[in-house]
Amino acid sequence: MEIKEKFRELSEEKEGAYMAHIYYGDPNEEFSLSQIEILVKHGADFIEFGIPFSDPTADGAIFQAACERALRNGITPPKCIQGIKKLRENLDIPIIVTTYYNIPYIAGVKAFLSEIKEAGAQGIIVPDVSLEEANPLLDAGREVGIHVIFQVTPLTTEDRLRRIAAAASGFLYVVNVEGVTGARETLADSTLKLVNRVRKHSDIPIMAGFGISKKEHAAAVVSAGADGVITGSALGEIYQKNLENPEETLPKIARFARQIKQGCIKGYIRRLNAQNISYEEV
Amino acid sequence: MVKSKRLYEQQRLPDKRGYFGKYGGQFVNEILMPVLIELDENFDRYYPTSEFQEEFHRLQRDYGGRPTPLYYAKNFSKSIGSKVYLKREDLLCGGSHKLNNALGQALLAKKMGKSRLITETSAGQHGFATAMAGRALGLEVEIFMGIKDIARQASNVKRMKLLGAKITPVKTGAGVLKDAVSDTLREWTSCSRTTHYLMGSTVGPHPFPKIVAAFQSVIGKELKNQILEKEGRLPDAIIACGSGGSNAIGAFSSFIDDNKVRLYFIEGGGGNLDADNSAAAFQLGKPGILHGALIQVLQDEYGQIKSSKTRAAGLNYPGRGPQICYLYDTGRMKVGYAFDEEVFEAVKVMCQTEGLIPALETAHAIAYMLNHKEEFYGDEVIVLNYSGRGDKDLEVITRRFYGD
Repeated sequence: MEIKEKFRELSEEKEGAYMAHIYYGDPNEEFSLSQIEILVKHGADFIEFGIPFSDPTADGAIFQAACERALRNGITPPKCIQGIKKLRENLDIPIIVTTYYNIPYIAGVKAFLSEIKEAGAQGIIVPDVSLEEANPLLDAGREVGIHVIFQVTPLTTEDRLRRIAAAASGFLYVVNVEGVTGARETLADSTLKLVNRVRKHSDIPIMAGFGISKKEHAAAVVSAGADGVITGSALGEIYQKNLENPEETLPKIARFARQIKQGCIKGYIRRLNAQNISYEEV
Repeated sequence: MVKSKRLYEQQRLPDKRGYFGKYGGQFVNEILMPVLIELDENFDRYYPTSEFQEEFHRLQRDYGGRPTPLYYAKNFSKSIGSKVYLKREDLLCGGSHKLNNALGQALLAKKMGKSRLITETSAGQHGFATAMAGRALGLEVEIFMGIKDIARQASNVKRMKLLGAKITPVKTGAGVLKDAVSDTLREWTSCSRTTHYLMGSTVGPHPFPKIVAAFQSVIGKELKNQILEKEGRLPDAIIACGSGGSNAIGAFSSFIDDNKVRLYFIEGGGGNLDADNSAAAFQLGKPGILHGALIQVLQDEYGQIKSSKTRAAGLNYPGRGPQICYLYDTGRMKVGYAFDEEVFEAVKVMCQTEGLIPALETAHAIAYMLNHKEEFYGDEVIVLNYSGRGDKDLEVITRRFYGD
């Protein structure tokens, strides 16, 4: 399913979108496949499919450990691409690949994007490619038909925001990091500010990530105007506690996904209500 | 002629996007981009001012002990067969060239209104220099260090702690420099408003390679004056060890445009030239992206970065800095390597000929000269950038020669 189509479907159903981020192959491929299946069954609208890299500098400790374990257990980019193919056999929702730039660079950027496209992915996030270095990725993405997803942060200047919004496709990934946002500012406040800033330049969908681990977080940022949320390390945290039998944590993962998705729905309704009130006030 | 002038320029300075030829760039997360732009603007704003230069010069002279001498190593020269001078960066306070850059960046951080410095270290020399610079300029210091390196460089860890720096052990990956750099980058994304990442070598995203090269260029400037005074001419060759390349680029800086001066860069050969047992990225690596830049780097067929291996912690990094990569690519600089065993022998030779204990890193350049005497002629003047002293390696060295 195309990214655009998914967002249209969600807005018709009056829901915020939920994207779940995993690193494939941690601790093994079988678990990743069943984890994704559970996530989708219990509310995930997008899968952010991480291809592990040896030095994931934009990831925190949880995902860093995930990459390390997956690589130690023999995961490779070709195995990951096979994994996407396997998922596609019964999965219709958009799959967004995340990896660090050296992986596509060594494979050949265009060849790599073609391969993930062929396997069934719709977009790619490369967290260590700045707008300044993005041309090869953007050119190949356009040619092959893969959306290149960009990240913006509260520190992104107005000029950069405008240029990033112009280059972005699929959706924008809004990153909120403690220490980057204001000291006493809440997640919802800083998201709201950033969403409003983006909206001046583009009506591209906005997904908010980093630091989202509870239903309330999801509800808050969606009601603040984000089109959806991304959870990552919070999922890793659940199964990392039981690496011997990670399957045993699947019920917890299911519960987590349901909670986040409920937050997305709640937040969307809250936003609609707020809009209605302000219309009435006018 | 015009073309070669342009080439020299490109070898000395990156373009606006931070590229030396095809190497360099800014491969970082968007969180860091505004920070790097701010850093670049501030460097360009402060560094050229006479106020900054005077303050920097005063710190280097009165705190660091510059200029460092250029010593004619008469006895060592006999074992090589040509006239060898040592540029004595080991005499800079702290025991290595690292303080040049640490003082410069700490001063810049202070001008930028930052209150805290973070960095990584492997041999501990850069961490120690940063701890010193932080104290001298009144900035808090936190140092990330791989657990393996903490064990190997115990004396430098004690020194840093004595200066009040916070040491944060890095357990991820192989617990070495590569992993510490990753963790410092991570930390920086969460605190960049108050904190400066004091990059220790000519690596990382633009503008770091440019900034570190500028602060280390004092080595080459002094060296040029000193050799002209002593010999009345430029040297025939300059030789330096390195991984990121900061001491080498510092020493080369005033000679890049002078093609007659041969430049040698010696990397860590490790145990042997097997991909998993070496740090020789020019021999075993290929272009790839690590820690914010496109560089020559050790990696597997899929682009996963490999951990380097060498007994010299300061050379134990899988990548070469972008400027060093470009100097090699354009043929301006010759690259060599020395194996761990040869390096220990070189330490012995330097101890016995000159009574100087070199750092294991520095000993790579010494080893290369000893093993390639045929490349240096009898009437030639060679400068070896003696980047650091070996006190920090004393335990490893004595264990190697006398056992436990």
